[in-house]
Amino acid sequence: MIPKVEYYRFKALDDALRFLRQYPGSKILAGGTDLVVQLRSGKTAARKLVDISGIDELRYIRDEDGYIRIGALTTIEELKNSETVRDHAQLLWKAANNFAVWQIRNIATIGGNICNASPAADTVPPLIVLNARLRLQNVDRQREIKVEEFFKGPGETVMEKDEILTEIVIPKKDSGWRYSFIKLGKRHSHILSIVNVAVGLKTYKDMIEDVIVALGSVAPTPVRARSVEDYLKNHRITRTRLEEASQQVVKDIKPISDIRASAEYRIEMSKILVRRALNECLKNVFTT
Amino acid sequence: MSSTAVLQAQKDEYDILREWMKAREFIYVGREVKRIDALEKVLGKSKYVEDHLVEGLTYARIVKSSIPHGIIQSIKPGRAVDHPDFIALVTSEDVPGLNQVGYYIPDQPALAERKVRFYGEPVALIVASKTRSAEELRELVEVEIKPLEAVFDPFEALKDRVLVHEEHGSNIVLRTRVRKGDAAKALQESDYVVENVYRAGHQDHAYLETEGALAIPMDGGMTLILPCQYPHLAQSIISRVLGVPQSKIRIIQPVVGGGFGGKDDMIPIVGAQAAIAAYKVRRPVLLTYTREDSFTSHCKRDPAYIRYRSGANKDGRLTVVDVDIIFDAGAYANRGPFTLWRATAHSTGPYEVPNVDARGTLVYTNKIYQGSFRGFGNPQIQFAAERQMDELAEKIGLDPVEFRLKNILRPGSRTSTNQLLEDSVGVGEALARVAEKCDWREKRRNYGKIVDGKARGIGVACAWHGISTSRGVPDWCNAYINVGKDGGVVIYTGIVEIGQGSHTGLIQIAAEVLGIPPEKINLVGGTSDAPDTGATHGSRGLSFGGTAILIAASKIRKSVQRVASRILECSPEDIEMKDGWVYSRSKPEKKITWEEAVKRCYAEGEEMTATGYFFMPKGRFDEEKGQGFAYIVFSYMVVAAEVEVDVETGLTRVLKVWPAICAGKIINPKLATTQINGAIMQGIGYTLMEEVKIEDGRILNPNFTDYLVPTIADLPEIEEPIFVEDYFKFGPFGAKGLAEMALIPIPAAIANAIKNAVGVGPLEIPYTSEKLFENLSRRGRR
Repeated sequence: MIPKVEYYRFKALDDALRFLRQYPGSKILAGGTDLVVQLRSGKTAARKLVDISGIDELRYIRDEDGYIRIGALTTIEELKNSETVRDHAQLLWKAANNFAVWQIRNIATIGGNICNASPAADTVPPLIVLNARLRLQNVDRQREIKVEEFFKGPGETVMEKDEILTEIVIPKKDSGWRYSFIKLGKRHSHILSIVNVAVGLKTYKDMIEDVIVALGSVAPTPVRARSVEDYLKNHRITRTRLEEASQQVVKDIKPISDIRASAEYRIEMSKILVRRALNECLKNVFTT
Repeated sequence: MSSTAVLQAQKDEYDILREWMKAREFIYVGREVKRIDALEKVLGKSKYVEDHLVEGLTYARIVKSSIPHGIIQSIKPGRAVDHPDFIALVTSEDVPGLNQVGYYIPDQPALAERKVRFYGEPVALIVASKTRSAEELRELVEVEIKPLEAVFDPFEALKDRVLVHEEHGSNIVLRTRVRKGDAAKALQESDYVVENVYRAGHQDHAYLETEGALAIPMDGGMTLILPCQYPHLAQSIISRVLGVPQSKIRIIQPVVGGGFGGKDDMIPIVGAQAAIAAYKVRRPVLLTYTREDSFTSHCKRDPAYIRYRSGANKDGRLTVVDVDIIFDAGAYANRGPFTLWRATAHSTGPYEVPNVDARGTLVYTNKIYQGSFRGFGNPQIQFAAERQMDELAEKIGLDPVEFRLKNILRPGSRTSTNQLLEDSVGVGEALARVAEKCDWREKRRNYGKIVDGKARGIGVACAWHGISTSRGVPDWCNAYINVGKDGGVVIYTGIVEIGQGSHTGLIQIAAEVLGIPPEKINLVGGTSDAPDTGATHGSRGLSFGGTAILIAASKIRKSVQRVASRILECSPEDIEMKDGWVYSRSKPEKKITWEEAVKRCYAEGEEMTATGYFFMPKGRFDEEKGQGFAYIVFSYMVVAAEVEVDVETGLTRVLKVWPAICAGKIINPKLATTQINGAIMQGIGYTLMEEVKIEDGRILNPNFTDYLVPTIADLPEIEEPIFVEDYFKFGPFGAKGLAEMALIPIPAAIANAIKNAVGVGPLEIPYTSEKLFENLSRRGRR
């Protein structure tokens, strides 16, 4: 049952921010696809809901000054249909394409997917790889934070109680980068990830010049696999190197066993998916 | 009465069936007539139980036990009484009649009394003036239960240390047995013997519409809008709990959002609960189960543990099947005695086996109870039997199709219970045609190699399935037809439309016999106002329901022929009825319209109503000897399935399925195909992903986020089905049952295909990607 809640709806960001300052125990409702389920199951104790879904100023996708700027209330379906996102934030676009079902994508927002802080959130590993930053705002100030520094644990973030995530800022990268996003679930669509992996990679001749690897659903927060990255950076690309690099991922992850999969399975799948994602990035480059 | 005596008494009816079986040209039967309910469904106008709003309606929710086994100390409304929308708390003390809804064994209360036996068991109902309030108020009800030690594992339960029903004296509900020849001796003497232990898990029906019932006190009794599968069963159970005669209980069928057997069991129970509440508050009560209630508190497909030994000789002939079957009934026996018996009787698969010893044990545990579900105990055992056939074939060194064909049932064969199959056995032809169509030999030769981390495989499985109820359980059908003065026809049948399309098929049968377009016929189904037609289960709806309609319509036809022969001055035998015309076959220019003929029947004293009662001439099964009559007829199914296995992740995709069915005459090929396709999808879910996770009796995944059913993305290519029309002599135009069939062989076909792909033979379902991954790791084949 959905418990009794006080419900407030705002059309202007300033009004919502003022309210949050006054009532810091409130919970922000964007699309509600996670929050309503949590209310029903008693997983959230909040009894004041601040519905920000009507704040149209937070719904946009802009390409300006070398950055892709995405308003936090942009829906997943809007990401999926955006040429800007497809051309300049390809990883995020891939994640949007594999995201839940049409009905959910139509109301779920990118900001909500991030702030819900699920370890399995599909948009987050791509945003880590894309070096995205999150813009947080309260009545007094704005601040920006790297997406990988945003999460503290399942459902927990560094966001203050009076803050709203307003924008996701993605720096455009040069065209040398190649990307891959792979998601593994127990059926072929409409599924929460057992493991998801995002990889961005740049080569110079037969060397790996730079690489970023991020995974979801294998630790209390989405994680960056620095051990894998370090093992590859400035090394010559060989099949052995890639295979060994993939094995390094176990140092970066800390999965649990839950209803969807065992920790052991997640560990093995992480290695495999990292290798597959790396290989996909190197397709047409790597021929040895 | 012996079956011969039954046949003698029903000579006219038997003649009618035989006469129509000869028909080879049809106008409506065998055609893809559009579903009568299609437009309303597409437009969203269909009225489900919740759409029937009546004056003074109140809303009820179940209050559930959160203890798997315990003694009820008290149930109090608590703070709920202070709420303005609170109407009543209903407990077992409010049951006016007998608090008993057990199907075969009287072990189950409508609302828990004294004890609770599973987590999620309804202990009370809360009635409020609004749905939302009912939802809110049930959280406030104070239920005090003193926990008892619980038993969840059936093998632990067999020790009888903790008793689920102490008055029963044991957790063993009952045992079943089928015996033929000397299995022990044959096991010793066979050239090859294979032994394996197979397991199958729960499966939830996952119907779009959860359980619901609307009970309306009226006319000195109770009228219920009830999405059940057998109105007369619901009527008798509700009459028992209310303590009023059945004649005072009226059941009306709304549109039903999926049944699959679940509503056969559940809706009489949910209807009884609603009726108890309506009796107490003296107002109409709508009781609906939320999706979570449906997951936690409605019956599931029975989990099974099967130790299977079978043998064959060097010549490829099966010698013996020796099998132990344990079904976990959960907290109540429900249909367990029958699902288990069905599994026991079908344990050989559709093969001639000279020596059989099949032993079944039904066990109580403190878990959600078992229930009817498409296949009814048979998918579990056919999984074991057909996996076993592949293992045996491999051991002998025979191709799986070839091995099966050497042993397959044919007309004249005797079954595991030694029942003689005189006719209607098309499975051999079905298997041969599937093998040819799917390019079996070529694929078996080429598959099983890993290319880019993926391996393809193809597998085949057969199934047989006794139609309707087993053994000597009395089985009949009936229908009532009334022709109005204007020629409009109304059919009353107890057969329920649960999405399968039977009502459309039943109208086609009547249209064919009366020679009038289907549009002139209206069908009122699923109501206790119709004659008792038996349940819409066991794939009997269109077949048995159709037999009754065929007989009733033939009686009307004879009346019309008699009158028309006088008008047209020819013999009644010369009268043909087609396309709304009644005419002389020899002089077709002599004709009158159907309407005119009906008018004359009314004028000349010919009765324009008829019933179509038919009692199935069944035999006897000797429980002592484990031999005898099992089912009036069997339908057969063959499927080949092609899979692709990701050998690193264990994720299996079913690429293509080739179905063939032997269900006698196909009344409507479109309806048949959609039933087959749906059953294949439900079978894929059962085989690869659907898993009810239970911890200390509590279901951990009572939602569609974590109870996974296949989506459209998991849908394989499904070939047009091969119809082998092996006519059944008591079916309308020879039709047998169909709706359950395609699910039954799917688990084994997929598992056999996985074995072909990666060399690992699944012994359990659901066979999830993680399980396959583990097995592959163990084999070191990654």
